[in-house]
Amino acid sequence: MLASTELQEGRAIAATEAPAGGYVGARETKHNGDLFLTGRAAYFNDIVLPKMSHAAVLRSPHAHARIKSIDASAAEASAGVLATLTGAQIKEHTGPIPFFIDPAVFGGKTRDNFPLAVDKVLMTGQPVAAVVAETAADAEAALDLIKVDYDVLEPILEADDALKDGAPIINDGWDDNVVITLPFVEGDAEAALAEADHVIEDTFEMHRLSTQPIEPRGNMAVWEKDGSLTFYGSIQNPHPLRLHLSQALGVSESAIRVIAPFVGGGLGLKMHGHPEEALVCVLAKIVGRPVKWLEDRRETLLIGGIEQTHRFKVGFNNDGQIVAIHNRIVANVGMLGSAPGWGMAFLSALGFPSGYKVPVTDVSVQVVSTNKGIWNATRGYGKQGTNVVIERMVDLVARHLGMDRIEVRRKNMIEKDEFPYATNSGLNIDSGDYHAALDKLEELLDYEGLKREQAKLREEGRYLGIGITFELTPESADIPGTIVGGFDSAQVKMDPSGNVTILSGVTTPGSGNDTGLAQIVADEVGVTIDRISVIQGDTDTCPYGFGNYSGRSIVSGGNSAVLAARDIGEKIRGGAALLLEAGDEDIELIDNLARVAGAPDRAIPIAAVAETIYTLNFAIPGIPEPPLESTRVYKPDNIRHTPDEKGRIQPYPTYSYAMHGVVVEVDPETGAVDIKRIGIVHDCGTMINPLFIEGQMAGAMVMGLGNGMSEELKYDEKGTPLSTRFKAYLMPRAGDVPAVELVHQITPSPFTLLGTKGAGEAGVGGGMSVIANAVDDALAPLGVTIRELPVSPPNVLKAIDEAGSNGGRG
Amino acid sequence: MRPIELTVNGSSHELEVEPRELLVYVLRERLGLTGTNIGCDTSSCGACTVLVEGESVKSCTMLAVQADGREITTIEGLATNGELHAVQQAFHEQHALQCGFCTPGFVMATVSLLDENGDPSEQEIREGLEGNLCRCTGYHNIVRAVQSAAGQEVSA
Repeated sequence: MLASTELQEGRAIAATEAPAGGYVGARETKHNGDLFLTGRAAYFNDIVLPKMSHAAVLRSPHAHARIKSIDASAAEASAGVLATLTGAQIKEHTGPIPFFIDPAVFGGKTRDNFPLAVDKVLMTGQPVAAVVAETAADAEAALDLIKVDYDVLEPILEADDALKDGAPIINDGWDDNVVITLPFVEGDAEAALAEADHVIEDTFEMHRLSTQPIEPRGNMAVWEKDGSLTFYGSIQNPHPLRLHLSQALGVSESAIRVIAPFVGGGLGLKMHGHPEEALVCVLAKIVGRPVKWLEDRRETLLIGGIEQTHRFKVGFNNDGQIVAIHNRIVANVGMLGSAPGWGMAFLSALGFPSGYKVPVTDVSVQVVSTNKGIWNATRGYGKQGTNVVIERMVDLVARHLGMDRIEVRRKNMIEKDEFPYATNSGLNIDSGDYHAALDKLEELLDYEGLKREQAKLREEGRYLGIGITFELTPESADIPGTIVGGFDSAQVKMDPSGNVTILSGVTTPGSGNDTGLAQIVADEVGVTIDRISVIQGDTDTCPYGFGNYSGRSIVSGGNSAVLAARDIGEKIRGGAALLLEAGDEDIELIDNLARVAGAPDRAIPIAAVAETIYTLNFAIPGIPEPPLESTRVYKPDNIRHTPDEKGRIQPYPTYSYAMHGVVVEVDPETGAVDIKRIGIVHDCGTMINPLFIEGQMAGAMVMGLGNGMSEELKYDEKGTPLSTRFKAYLMPRAGDVPAVELVHQITPSPFTLLGTKGAGEAGVGGGMSVIANAVDDALAPLGVTIRELPVSPPNVLKAIDEAGSNGGRG
Repeated sequence: MRPIELTVNGSSHELEVEPRELLVYVLRERLGLTGTNIGCDTSSCGACTVLVEGESVKSCTMLAVQADGREITTIEGLATNGELHAVQQAFHEQHALQCGFCTPGFVMATVSLLDENGDPSEQEIREGLEGNLCRCTGYHNIVRAVQSAAGQEVSA
């Protein structure tokens, strides 16, 4: 029952003729924007089911403790309460939550995560019991009546402490606290560093952060009378979740329907593996009614990511050529959850040396479990770890040699005629022109003019900083043996009225790929976009797909829609050719008409052709066969899962990139950073809709700047989260940032059908790296070197103090 | 329970509410006006912004009893006869929405902002919308939409 609202589908608001040159590449506005602008789009919390009940979750107040006993009897008897469930009972109802990406697939350690802690809690906020009641308020009130007796253990919060000899082991059955260590080695780094003209050794610390979409998570389950399960959730990956619910609950996949309504921002945080997904299913079974759980913001803020320390050496010659990188990364993934977050650490190491030609690299990441909160994916998926640190390295090299940072980048970046380019870690970068992007950025910013202004202001005692960074964004991953899939599907259907429905295996948590799919299909079948509906996020109606992550929606979902739409277009052309007495190849489909090329008066509405195919199929010999439906899958090229001679695979088809420049002014008295300008040159190959790509990039950049400047998930010494509200986790507001100046560069990917590359993640790493470099540059006269994020006022003041205490040597 | 009377989007409603009940829950759960969203519990995000007597109010900061006798406009009540309000139209044309969850709040805050200041500078727009959080757009296109709705030339 979706009172006066609509699920994740919609129809364009204005009937138009196709833009000159077609829909692909046009600046179309959101095809279903009216739903959002008038309050009719249904998000999770808008779904109301008959007899719906409400769950609340009791969470551990301790970061590390054994559960001695739980007494929920008083809660059970509380007003409005329908049922309680504790960790002691959970195994009777469900198996462990399957991992989105199991470290065991890569030879690492794993653990059984149940929706409620069975005997031991590993993080503050881990669910230990649940209550179902008539109202959410009744459920929350009853939580206070549950008595849990804990044996509190010393928490281990920092990765370095967890790695110490003799450190307590937090996961029962493990022999240390390391989930996995992943090395990426090319050449002999020690030897290359010994031969280099210069070596810089330094560290960089990236803090714990979170994506925090404005809509929190929510799940609802209902067991239908026939024994099947319907699950509604604010989630990114309906089909993979169906598989995992099936595995956890021991229910056939065909008896589970997963529905994602419109999602109010995903950003990685709504990839599944969280305790509350299987939990609502179990609770709904127990009470025999629909059970809804809606996350509150304190709960959303338990989920983190990225926290990692890099200890590196970079070797380079007098001419600015970087010859070797040695980097040991330690990532603090907190409690190892089943959500895909931990895998970001993998990417932070895999991505070296980004878009630079560094002949020798020895990079490894140690993934460490502690008693901080779980990680989940954060938009950028760990690539920001690579990006920030390699861009700091390049600036350190430039400063050491007294060279301009742009010249050092020009010297080391991959040349445009060297693509596809095989990197040291086995990646195969499809295409690009990095030097041209750098030229465009210099021009956009008036780089030389900025440097003159900076020099002038420095004489006045003002600290202007210019940050310049490159960002490489491998996208659309397929990881073998996991449900991270690199292909996807689309079904395109035309009805006898000539209207088109696209059913897609990808989902849109706000990125707008649904409008992109409509544009693509409109061009292929020749109908105007107002005749197209897009349905996503329902496992019963949509073809099998993997949903949303890794900038994959247009690369895999869009190109599969091309293939399916071409099948329909071919049948329409065939039917029209017959009716217009022309050859198939002479028929063009445009503006809802099938017409003979060069003879504008010989035309028939596409709807008439469709109706004829459906209603006169026996009457007209040779007319194409119904139905006008096609389901196709698109697998991009360039992915290689057969290991090479070094055991490396190539999981990405496309590699978007961007050059970023920001101008800041830093107040050394307060540590405040004022962003004056943001300039970006972005290349994601062929663009389906530049307006949407600009929106994604502006949003990703501002998110990256927030991630790098003000957002931090902090803990006290007991492991209690301190950043529990938006008043403590500080995301950028409109007044914190200026306009985004964006220039496109287009280098189509040779490995995808339309030449598209992933879009949507680029900018997050760029924002983080460019703010680090800009603040570093601003404070260079004070001898400051930025060695940690965020560059928040306290950290900036600390960096200034440290520079002062070592005589300004940085 | 207390009796109150609310005029919401032009329709009058007589309701019995708990003294502790927040306006946002009355709008969403009693009146079915789910276009007003809830994004936080601390009046930080502005997703629940509505107009009370024409002025923007975070409806999670107001008790329903405080709204007694007052006129409220939600996102559902902004369009007239199927025609989008100028602010809604500008948000659409400037692509000022992505996931759309914060959008009703931003639209209502913008209506109120432009009512107070019909010709705001970019800085006044940015400061005027500081009560609302958006995680998708980086605010860039939202600012352009406000400029467009104000009849200004939209900056690049």
